Amino acid sequence: MQTTINYPKLRFGSKYVDIFPYWISLLFLGVLFGLVGVFFVLRDGLQVTGLSNKVPWGLWISIDLSSISLGGSAFVFGVIVYLLRLKRFEVIGKLAVLLGFLGYSTAGMVLLFDLGQPFRFWHPIVFWQPHSLLWEVTMCVVLYLTVLVAELIPVIVEHPFFDGHELHEKYPIIKKTAAFAKTLTHWLHKAGPILAVVGLTLSLLHQASLGATYSVLFGRGVWFNQSAPVQFVFSAMSGGIALLFFMGTLVFRVMRPGMVSDDTLYDVARIAGGITLLLTYLRLWDWAVTNYYSFDRNISLQTEALNAVAPYSLAFWLGQALLPAIAGSVLLSAKSVKNFRYLMAFSVIPIFAAILTRWNYNFAGLIATSTYDPYTPIIRVSSYTPTWVEFAVASLVISYWLLMFSFAARYLPFQSKHSEH
Amino acid sequence: MSELEKEQPVSKETSAASRRDFIKLAGALAGAAGVTKLFMGNSTTARAYSGGEDGTGHKWGMLIDINLCIGCQYCTFSCEAINNLADDMRYCVVTTETTQSGEEFFLSRPCMHCDEAPCVHVCPVGATYKRSDGIVAMDYDRCIGCRYCQVACPYDARVFNWREPIALSPQSPDFGYQEVPNRPRGVVEKCTFCSHRIDAGLERALVPGVDPQATPACVVACPTTARIFGDMNDPASPISVALSQAETTLRLREELSTEPRVIYIPPDAHSDNRFQGS
Repeated sequence: MQTTINYPKLRFGSKYVDIFPYWISLLFLGVLFGLVGVFFVLRDGLQVTGLSNKVPWGLWISIDLSSISLGGSAFVFGVIVYLLRLKRFEVIGKLAVLLGFLGYSTAGMVLLFDLGQPFRFWHPIVFWQPHSLLWEVTMCVVLYLTVLVAELIPVIVEHPFFDGHELHEKYPIIKKTAAFAKTLTHWLHKAGPILAVVGLTLSLLHQASLGATYSVLFGRGVWFNQSAPVQFVFSAMSGGIALLFFMGTLVFRVMRPGMVSDDTLYDVARIAGGITLLLTYLRLWDWAVTNYYSFDRNISLQTEALNAVAPYSLAFWLGQALLPAIAGSVLLSAKSVKNFRYLMAFSVIPIFAAILTRWNYNFAGLIATSTYDPYTPIIRVSSYTPTWVEFAVASLVISYWLLMFSFAARYLPFQSKHSEH
Repeated sequence: MSELEKEQPVSKETSAASRRDFIKLAGALAGAAGVTKLFMGNSTTARAYSGGEDGTGHKWGMLIDINLCIGCQYCTFSCEAINNLADDMRYCVVTTETTQSGEEFFLSRPCMHCDEAPCVHVCPVGATYKRSDGIVAMDYDRCIGCRYCQVACPYDARVFNWREPIALSPQSPDFGYQEVPNRPRGVVEKCTFCSHRIDAGLERALVPGVDPQATPACVVACPTTARIFGDMNDPASPISVALSQAETTLRLREELSTEPRVIYIPPDAHSDNRFQGS
C-alpha cells in the first residue's frame, strides 16, 4: 500500500507554501555553522571551550546525556512490539527506533568533540577497564547503536526506492545493494525479538550507569544522591516516550492520517504519563532519603550543595516535581482529555524534565564542589560559560538531529507491506 | 580473576603460560568471559596489582608537616620546572586555610596517590593506574581526554592539558629544568611523585627519600623540610621514622575512604612550632 503523506504547509495570504525546503536550508546553515566550530575544536583543542579544570564537563556532555535520554523510547517499544507482540504499536515502534538511533548517534557525535584526543575514541573498545562506569556506558552505547542500526535498516528499506527505481537499471551496483538490503532486512526482521532483548539489556545497563556516573563523584555535590541510576532510567523512559508521543502525533496524525489510530497514540501518552508520575514519586523519596542521611557534617555539606544549586534546587521543585506531576496526570488521562493540542503541549514537559535532570546533574551538580581543606571545608561554586564554539558544535548536532528527523518524517513510509500477515 | 591477580608477571613466558591454563579452565561456556579476563590480564589488572601490596615491595608515601610549611611555594615551583608546566597547570598547589578557631595555616597539596583512587576506578580506558609501589601513574598514550578522572578527584589534583606543551616553564631555570617528556595536548596530567627519579634512582641503588637525585623535586626543594618522603614498608625510612614520632596525623577528606598516601601533621601539634602561629 502506498502511503499518502500530507506535508505541513503554511498559508501566506491565499497561497499555501510547503516550508520544507526553507526548513532544511535553515538546518543546513546550522550544520555549516557547526562545522566551523568543529574546525576550531579539532585545530586548537579544547582550549576554545569555556571549560576549565574546575568545571571539566559542560554543555556538550549535557547535550550528550539529554539526547541519550530522549532516545529512551526505543528499548521500551522494542519490548512492546517484539516481546509483548502488541501489533498496534508496530508502526509507532518504528518511529521509536528512529528516535533512538538519532539520540544515540547525536550523543556519539558530540562526545567525539568533547574528547581531548578525539582520534583515540576507539580506546575504550580496545583497552578495557570494567571498573569504570564510563567504560561500561561507552561499550553499551556502541553496542546499542549497532542494535539500533540493525533495527533501523528494515524501516529504511521499506522506502519504495528499494523496490525499483530508474537508477537501479542505470547502475547495477545500486540494484545489488538494494537487493542485499532487502535480504538483510528479512533476517533482521527474524532477529527482532533477540535485538529487543539485547537492546533492553544494554539500555537498562547504560541508562542506569549514566546516573551512577555521577553517584561516584565524591568530590562533587551530586554524589550523595542514592537513586540517581534508577532516576536516569525512568527519566529516559518518561522523556523518551513523551517525545515519541509528540513526534508520533506529528508524523502519523498530522502527516499520515489514519495510519496509527488515535487510541494507540493515547496509549503512548498514557505510558509516558504513568512513567512520569512514577518518576516524580521516586524523586520525592530520593529527596527525603538524601536529607534524612545528612546528619554527618560532610554529608550535610554535600546536601547543602544539592539544595542550593544541584538537583534539589528550585529548578528541581518546579521543573522536576510540580510540572511533571501535572503533565503526567494529564497524559495518563489522555483518553478522557482527547485533545491532541493539549496532550502535545503537556508532553513537552516530561521531555524538558528529562533534559533538565541531565542539566541539573551535569551543570549544577558539578559546579558545586566542596573544598578539601581539613577543618573548614566549604561549598565552592565555580562558574562556566560556554563559548561560541561550544554553541556551534551544539548547533551542528541539534541540526543533524532535526535534519535527519525531517527527512525521515517526509520520506520514510513507516508502514510495512508485510505487516498484514 | 583471582589467579591473575595473585600472579606477578615476572616474564612474558610465565604470564603466557598462565593465560593458556586459564583458558583451558574456563571451558567453552565461559569463553566470552575468558576473553574479557584475558584483556584485563593484559592491561589494567596486571599493571594495577602486579605486586608490592603484600608488603614485600616499596610503598611510597609523603608526610607533610603543616607546622613547618611557610607557604614559600618552592614545592610548586620546582614541580613546575621539573615537569615543564605553565603557571596555570600546577600539579602541587599551596593554599592558605583556616583552623576551626580561625588561625591560618598553609596547606600544600600534591596528588594524594590514594590507595583507593577514584580517578583509577573511573578511567574508562585504564590510562591512569595504581603502580605496585603505590604511585598513581598515567599512561599519556592511552588517555582519551574524557576528564572523568578530573571530575572524580576529590582533591582537584588533576589538570587537563588544554594547550600545546610550552617551550620552557616560567620557573626554569630558577627551580631546575624539565626532566620528563612533554605530554600532548588533550590529555589529563598529574603529579607522579617524580616516579622518573625514583625508578632511575633505584636502578643506581639510591634510596628515594634520602638521596636527593631519587627524591621528588618538591621534597628536595622544601627549605624547611616540611615534606618527608620515603618507603612506608621500610621501618628505617625517613617517613616511617617521622610517622612513628608524630603525635597526630591527618589525611585529607578521610571520610571518603580514598586512603591517601600523603599524610599531614596537623597545625599546632608541636609545642615548638617554629614557623606558624603562637
